[in-house]
Amino acid sequence: MDINTEEYAAHQDAQDPLGHLRESFIIPSKADLARKTLQPSKEHTASQDEPSIYLCGNSLGLQPSLTRKYMQQYLDTWAAKGVYGHFKEVEDSNLVPWLHVDDDCVPEMAKIVGALPSEVSVMQTLTANLHLLMASFYRPTKERYKIILEGKAFPSDHYAVESHIRHHDLDPAKAMILIEPESQSTPILSTAHILATIDQHAAETALLLLPGVQFYTGQYFDIQTITAHAQSKGITVGWDLAHAAGNVALKLHDWNVDFAAWCTYKYLNCGPGSIGGVFVHENHGKIEESQSGEPQYRPRLAGWWGSSKSSRFAMTNKFVPIPGAAGFQLSNPSVADTTALRASLDVFKLTSMEALRERSLKLTQYLQDLLDQLAKEQGSACFSIITPGEPEQRGAQISVMLKSGLLDAVMESLEAAGVVVDERRPDVIRVAPAPLYNTYKDVYLFVKAFRAACQQASQDGGHGGSIMANAGKDERGWSEVK
Amino acid sequence: MSSQNEYSAEYAKIQDAQDPLRHLRDDFIIPTRADLKRKTLAEDSSTASEPSTYLCGNSLGLQPRLTSKYLNSYLSAWATKGVLGHFTEIEDSPLAPWLHVDDDVMEPMARIVGAKREEVAVMETLTANLHLLMCSFYRPTKDRWKVLIEGKAFPSDHYAVESQIQHHDLDPASAMVLIEPPDPSSPLLSTSHILATIDEHASETALLLLPGIQFYTGQFFDMKTITAHAHERGIVVGWDLAHAVGNVPLQLHNWNVDFAAWCNYKYMNCGPGAIGGLFVHEKHSGVSAGQENATTDGKTPSYRPRLSGWWGNDKSSRFRMENRFVPIPGAGGFQLSNPSVADLAAVRASLDTHAKTTMLDLRSKSVKLTAYLQQLLLEHGPKERCYEIITPLNPEERGAQLSLKLREGLLESVMEHLEEEGVVVDERRPDVIRVAPAPLYNNYSDVLRFVQVFRAACERAAKGGSAETNSLMVNGGREEKGWGDVK
Repeated sequence: MDINTEEYAAHQDAQDPLGHLRESFIIPSKADLARKTLQPSKEHTASQDEPSIYLCGNSLGLQPSLTRKYMQQYLDTWAAKGVYGHFKEVEDSNLVPWLHVDDDCVPEMAKIVGALPSEVSVMQTLTANLHLLMASFYRPTKERYKIILEGKAFPSDHYAVESHIRHHDLDPAKAMILIEPESQSTPILSTAHILATIDQHAAETALLLLPGVQFYTGQYFDIQTITAHAQSKGITVGWDLAHAAGNVALKLHDWNVDFAAWCTYKYLNCGPGSIGGVFVHENHGKIEESQSGEPQYRPRLAGWWGSSKSSRFAMTNKFVPIPGAAGFQLSNPSVADTTALRASLDVFKLTSMEALRERSLKLTQYLQDLLDQLAKEQGSACFSIITPGEPEQRGAQISVMLKSGLLDAVMESLEAAGVVVDERRPDVIRVAPAPLYNTYKDVYLFVKAFRAACQQASQDGGHGGSIMANAGKDERGWSEVK
Repeated sequence: MSSQNEYSAEYAKIQDAQDPLRHLRDDFIIPTRADLKRKTLAEDSSTASEPSTYLCGNSLGLQPRLTSKYLNSYLSAWATKGVLGHFTEIEDSPLAPWLHVDDDVMEPMARIVGAKREEVAVMETLTANLHLLMCSFYRPTKDRWKVLIEGKAFPSDHYAVESQIQHHDLDPASAMVLIEPPDPSSPLLSTSHILATIDEHASETALLLLPGIQFYTGQFFDMKTITAHAHERGIVVGWDLAHAVGNVPLQLHNWNVDFAAWCNYKYMNCGPGAIGGLFVHEKHSGVSAGQENATTDGKTPSYRPRLSGWWGNDKSSRFRMENRFVPIPGAGGFQLSNPSVADLAAVRASLDTHAKTTMLDLRSKSVKLTAYLQQLLLEHGPKERCYEIITPLNPEERGAQLSLKLREGLLESVMEHLEEEGVVVDERRPDVIRVAPAPLYNNYSDVLRFVQVFRAACERAAKGGSAETNSLMVNGGREEKGWGDVK
């Protein structure tokens, strides 16, 4: 069967054992996206409810259907119980007493990243977590002071590392090593090149910080190999998993990763800015008793929520951390946020990361195959794919580099067709079929719309009407917020 | 007035009727007694129940009626717009596009703490903010390395300061100076004692970190005087305002406070664990075009060092294509990650409720309300007085809260009886209960009822009772993390 047909896509969807998971999400309709109000207008008819083609879960994941129900339970508990909500078990609520909301999310969260529950905590935000982890894991000495990260890192990681280096009164110009692509022709960083760069600076390097999946190229790094290699040179290894958690099947514990942090609003579908996550390998989370009876533990910036509530310490301000990642917590967490996380995790519980990854590989391969076909059709006149072609080297996302000057017009056409993807100026669009809720039909329709968009853009250059391309253009966080 | 019996329902009703802020109570959801007792969210067919006497807003503030509306609006925006919610102006939503939700609350938040708009940011959590601020403001040298905090600080502040000191490879035993009460009979710290302790260590002290209002005693410190005194001695001054924000009028800018941080789930009523806030005085947060930096191509702007993230970055077009950090001038430049929109919806709802009044008017009511509580406790308490008020009796030296120290062994029984009667307060073991009439939604009738029930509770407890108790507050989460302190 010709893969570039709606029939083929429908056939794949019909056979898909995970196809039912889509029902656990709210898919915006095309009319929803176009409307300037929350409520539909009186003229609205059901025929306008055609689902949008939302391939932007790498930027903001869609809302699980459970989220509103759980949020209402949270609000009802707060309203009815006040402060008792911290302790009181409520029989008809899916939520636990607030004292336990973060711990309650840990087991499922740990499964998603391939960790022991004691290695994971739910807390803060991604960049705050990176800082807290670096405060513990980046302790430069005269000999080892460098931090290696990738050249076009997500801005926040770059600023976090740079400011941490300055915090230790070191000079980023010397201490911050950026791994740049070997060749101008591709932004991909081969594993060999990464290892070579590590080797070049190994003796002076304290920390390697890389993204599990690169936000711009969609490249999925060989976490296991890179981690092992760096550690064999005495380097601590941390991973930013913003684009990896919920996307690829991670095994942080087995891969011996030292630490990691992530946000939950992308593939974890917890809503914009929702509470983040932290991994600390159990090797680093132990509490031991010294000869003098003093507890020995990895130094970290501390707060009460990471403190072990042991009765002998009840009356004194003596900090003994909870063993593991939980000991890195600072303040009691947002229950609104952990409620959204609970709703999301209750959907992840219906499947496994292995099953999702298997589906994702097929779905993104379908996208790649259709795009390859299209490129051939166009004689590669309009775009090229910059994401690695090998499935093991990417997650759900494919980054498409358009020929110079086409971006705004293409985005405008896509939006008019009810397609949601995002862009990275000047020329890249990112397309991410999320394994939990996107379909082969979504992918087929995307490529169909993209074909038309390329055609249109090549002909008349568009009118600059894309919301995504224009919106917030001069504001803080414009490009990167998506 | 003096001939009227204050300890009477009529008196309380008259006070309530005359209270110009009485209508604000309607903007909050007050749990009923049945609500508190019920084991389910679903209401059962029991008869309509009277409101509980909820005097625990110092621990967890009640829910504004707007919150549900705003949170649901947020969920609808996310459901119908997906990622476009960052940018889309939605006509029938009370919320700003997500890109602006934090900026959107800066102005009203700043008013509540007496700051300029640019001096405030809504971000992270209280303890995270303290760490971020200390990483910027606590930069110990050989000459100045000590940090002064109060002796029975809230555990998180103690751990935060201690770990910051250790982070700089210093020894808390010498670098961490605790201001203890001069007299063991009272846990209060007089201003003169604080100033004297500052003087004792001044030349070696880098930072003074105190709570605007002390969580245990309810004491409201003289922030202006203490800040000025410490400044004169070259000490940086930060304030933990967890119990002060939304409780007492603050003038952080005029008092020249260097930095401050707070949580928003107490008197700010934003829900358990909701996003926090921080203040950085404008004198510290300017950003100027800097000197030519020999190691880079462009100019390196000059700004106070801090741990940075993209959300604090000034999105100026000339930096668009490079990873070049120039902070937003002001507190905004201390932000790290994009904030939780769910939490900000609750913050917006709370601030829109606050906007119906002012901190000065709230304080005016609060002073009277807490004075009434004090009067009833001192003049109409149980025959055998089994408690003392450890909070200062001077209204200038406290906020809404009174801390009552019970005679030894009575706590469990008293708490049980209060709970049984639908009175919600919290306790600090072994002997203290904290009672906080919140000016936004509590009233004189609440205070009267508290004292009536408390009287009965004391009398019953004094007759003898075990340390075993059915009190949810006393027992709840006892063996768990955060037990005593989470409230």
